[in-house]
Amino acid sequence: MTLSVSPPRSSPSPPAPADDRPARAPRSVRTLPVHVAMLAWSVVTALPLLWAVVSSFKTDDEILNHPWSLPSTPQPGNWARAWTEASIGRYFFNSLVVVGGALALTMLLGSLVAYALARYEFRGNRIIYYTFVAAMFFPVFLALVPLFFVVQQLGLLGTYQGLILVYAAYAVPFTVFFLHAFFRSLPAEVAEAAFLDGCSHGAVFFRVMLPMARPGLVAVGIFNFLGLWNQYLLPLVLNPDPDRYVLAQGLAALSVSQGYRSDWSGLFAGLTIAMLPVLIAYVAFQRHIRAGMTAGAVK
Amino acid sequence: MRHGRWRFLAGALIPALVLHVVFVLSPYAQAFYLSLTDWTGVAGEAHFVGADNYRRLAGDSLFVDAVRNNALLLVVVPLVTIAIGLFLASMLHLGGRGGRRAVAGSGAYQIIYFFPQLLSLVVVAVLWSFVYNPNTGLLNGALRALGLGGMAASWLASPSLALPAVMAVLVWSSVGFYVVLFSAAIDGIPVELFEAAVLDGAGGWATFRNVTLPLVRDTVQVAFVYLGIAALDAFAVVQVMTVGPGGPDGATEVIGLSLYRNAFQYGKFGYASAMGVALFFATLTLAVFALRGGRRSTVEAS
Amino acid sequence: MSPTRRTLIRTALTAGAAVPLLSACVTGGSDDDDPAAGNTGAKSADNPLGVKADAPLEVVIFKGGYGDEYAKHAETLYTQKYAGAKIDHKGLQKVGVALQPRFVANTPPDVVDNTGADRLDIAVLVGAKQVSDLTTLLDAPAFDDPSKKLRDTLLPGVVDDGTFDKVPRTLNFTYTVWGLWYSKKLFAAKGWAYPKTWDDMLALCATIKAAGIAPWTYQGKYPEYINDPLLSMAAKTGGLELVKAVDNLEPNAWKAPGLVSAAEAFAELAAKGYIMGGSEALSHTEAQAAWCQGKAAFIPCGSWLESEQKGVTPDGFDMVMGPVPSRTASDRLKQTAVQAASSESFLVPAKAKNPAGGMEYLRILFSKQSAKAFAESAGTLPAVAGATDGLTLSSGLSSVRDAVQAAGPETFTYRFRTWYAPLAKAVDDATGELVNKRITAAQWSERIQKAADGIAKDSSVQKYTR
Repeated sequence: MTLSVSPPRSSPSPPAPADDRPARAPRSVRTLPVHVAMLAWSVVTALPLLWAVVSSFKTDDEILNHPWSLPSTPQPGNWARAWTEASIGRYFFNSLVVVGGALALTMLLGSLVAYALARYEFRGNRIIYYTFVAAMFFPVFLALVPLFFVVQQLGLLGTYQGLILVYAAYAVPFTVFFLHAFFRSLPAEVAEAAFLDGCSHGAVFFRVMLPMARPGLVAVGIFNFLGLWNQYLLPLVLNPDPDRYVLAQGLAALSVSQGYRSDWSGLFAGLTIAMLPVLIAYVAFQRHIRAGMTAGAVK
Repeated sequence: MRHGRWRFLAGALIPALVLHVVFVLSPYAQAFYLSLTDWTGVAGEAHFVGADNYRRLAGDSLFVDAVRNNALLLVVVPLVTIAIGLFLASMLHLGGRGGRRAVAGSGAYQIIYFFPQLLSLVVVAVLWSFVYNPNTGLLNGALRALGLGGMAASWLASPSLALPAVMAVLVWSSVGFYVVLFSAAIDGIPVELFEAAVLDGAGGWATFRNVTLPLVRDTVQVAFVYLGIAALDAFAVVQVMTVGPGGPDGATEVIGLSLYRNAFQYGKFGYASAMGVALFFATLTLAVFALRGGRRSTVEAS
Repeated sequence: MSPTRRTLIRTALTAGAAVPLLSACVTGGSDDDDPAAGNTGAKSADNPLGVKADAPLEVVIFKGGYGDEYAKHAETLYTQKYAGAKIDHKGLQKVGVALQPRFVANTPPDVVDNTGADRLDIAVLVGAKQVSDLTTLLDAPAFDDPSKKLRDTLLPGVVDDGTFDKVPRTLNFTYTVWGLWYSKKLFAAKGWAYPKTWDDMLALCATIKAAGIAPWTYQGKYPEYINDPLLSMAAKTGGLELVKAVDNLEPNAWKAPGLVSAAEAFAELAAKGYIMGGSEALSHTEAQAAWCQGKAAFIPCGSWLESEQKGVTPDGFDMVMGPVPSRTASDRLKQTAVQAASSESFLVPAKAKNPAGGMEYLRILFSKQSAKAFAESAGTLPAVAGATDGLTLSSGLSSVRDAVQAAGPETFTYRFRTWYAPLAKAVDDATGELVNKRITAAQWSERIQKAADGIAKDSSVQKYTR
């Protein structure tokens, strides 16, 4: 139950991956069914993805007639076609800008609101909280047409800023919901000590509470990143300029044109191109992500 | 100090509130109003029709199918996902003394399990429609290769299998995240509690029930809410993957799809808004009950 | 942190001023001022529609199977004539979602190709007075033959297809014919003859099945594909009266003997196992690919099939389309009659800024030279008569042209799909159940009739008659 407060960079040590002592025979027997279960789910998870990657190197004919085999000669042309026709590269950049900006804004606003509502008592506190939380339960596409007019009136249609603001507005409710409970669970003593040291309210939040909440921020940050990265309806209406398409829009265009031209291999190549960078980024950062989430459970 | 307090609160709340009111609440408020009109969605005029749209809902057999299917999704998807997630997460910790050390390779497992979370649901749905293809798909192919050809089926075209097939995709795509989340929560449980349980002679199941489960309850509760919202949506997967879509003959119809069809294909935006408002209140009620129930049991536990 | 704050505050201020306007905007938009004011020019023999030469023109094209090059080709012709005009071209897949708010805001483009799975419901658009009357365009001289009116250069039925309540509202660019497709090569090799009657069809199916090939497949994920031959067969039995009764939502129209017996025919096809296993779950691309690989002999489809399958058809496959067989000897229409309709609907929004330019663009697009270029590149019949003259046609396209010629005046089309989209959905669902042996022909007609009666009774649905 100890929490390091001052150095925000001290990451909680990740769990030891394995025991150093040599395994005793009974235990490996005992863990065998465990490994079987774990492996089975790995296969179920990885197989469809591997299949998509392999298919992206095959010809249309091979995909249809020999869905199981490896490509006889790999077809890098599929990738080239998906890259140029679907402009995956540019869409990727657009997604990065929009999701990055929106994520930063969401985390800032969401944590401020969650903290203020969780740690301060004032009239209207509950009402504000429920106003945010209720928004999680309304289907977004009903808001689409009215939202279009809001964004248009503000002159933000088809701009990065407009998308970032709207994305953030739709991600804040869940962030507040998630972090509210988290801030409540943090011990009050540390904040009180900081106040006694003469810290202002803002300083207590940014210098004391936010670092303590880091694990929670990491967890909700991942939720938000995944949600925003996959956002499809909002850009569809608010982002009409093909040069500013985000990845989900680009992929939809690719799969629609697949529907008319039967370009299976191109579709698989596009899917693979779109998912690989995210996979790589996850594998590269997963230690930090898991460390953050692990510490998130320490209360 | 009081002055600083109000200034801080205003600074913390007002920007987010403005964003919320402008981009979320004002469009929603308009949608609430539109549900009382016959707005087509393609022109600037609408007539007030009162509660007409709401009265129609009960007589719309496709909407009734959708409500039934969403209710099933709402029960099955979170339960199955959380069960598999908790199971795998506890398995990951069965390797060491006290039942809470990671098994060998647990890091690799957690990476692989997380993969589907990284794909957009549209991509997931496209992938799975290839898996479910009755003639060339991965699933029937695997069954035939294992000598289980008799179990091969037309997954998405049989009324009894289509909805479970959709559920499987939703579960498949979300389990990984919850394995990692629950695994983190279990890591956070003090070792002493497990050791005490083992000293008491508790088996694996008893340890799970008496130690793990109560201590990850909060995490499970958040998971329920998030999965519940995902299950009530299910729009992307159903629209891309199923026959019709929403078929065969309404077997996989979901409210989101009915709503989308009425709003954008039939030009009945007012009616679609009524569906959305009904869905909103249903979800809100459920969420309130779920959170209330959850809170009470937490209080009892402490 | 501070720039974010400042942006937000600015947003907040603007929003505060904007909110009252917004509610006015979605539902009570004023249409007092004419958006096209100042965008018309003097009419002349060379400029019959009164185009203002330097007015900008915005064109939105559905970029599907035919791409959008053909539309750009016509845009080039437009700028050749009006050098000062700046054309804003958009090739989209989700036309409806992208344009819906623009129609509501009264700022639509000048020409829209309202096509694709996500198009706007045309009946609703027309009902909401969002679409211009195209009479002046149809009565204007054709672009490359000023001696004829544009309406007289189109194939039969094209003007009717775009007419709502006696007013022409859309102009459809492609001409689609529906039928059954097969490989001429396969049929020649096996010595099979295309069946003219349903009895012959069943006999042939037995032979095909014995040869180890599935007689039929269909695009099961979208049951409307198998609807087309079923409804075609019914139309041949019951004649145009049956078609009109269905479209006009007459009581018991779906219980007509022609419809019930066509449904029985398809139920029998399914019952005898003549439909390839698994078809019911295949998407259009999957089913058509299986058919191209020779796994099934027949597939129902419209005349776009050949161009859609371009990439995956084996060499020498020689696909051809035949008209649906006759059900009885006493059918009202000949076996050569075909279901044909124009599609790829172009419209000029009523609130367009440059409607004269939009119509002029259509006059250019529907010229013989543009249509011919389209026929060559897309491998599909355009709605302009004689557009394929002098072209060497592929096997599929020439079989389509021959079918149109053989049918002569006996072409027919159902309008209920465009008029009453919910009824179309009910029919598709019922037919999907029928060919999967989950309901009988009697139940099929029963449940569709119920859906049609529901729409006929619903006062909120605008009705059309023919």
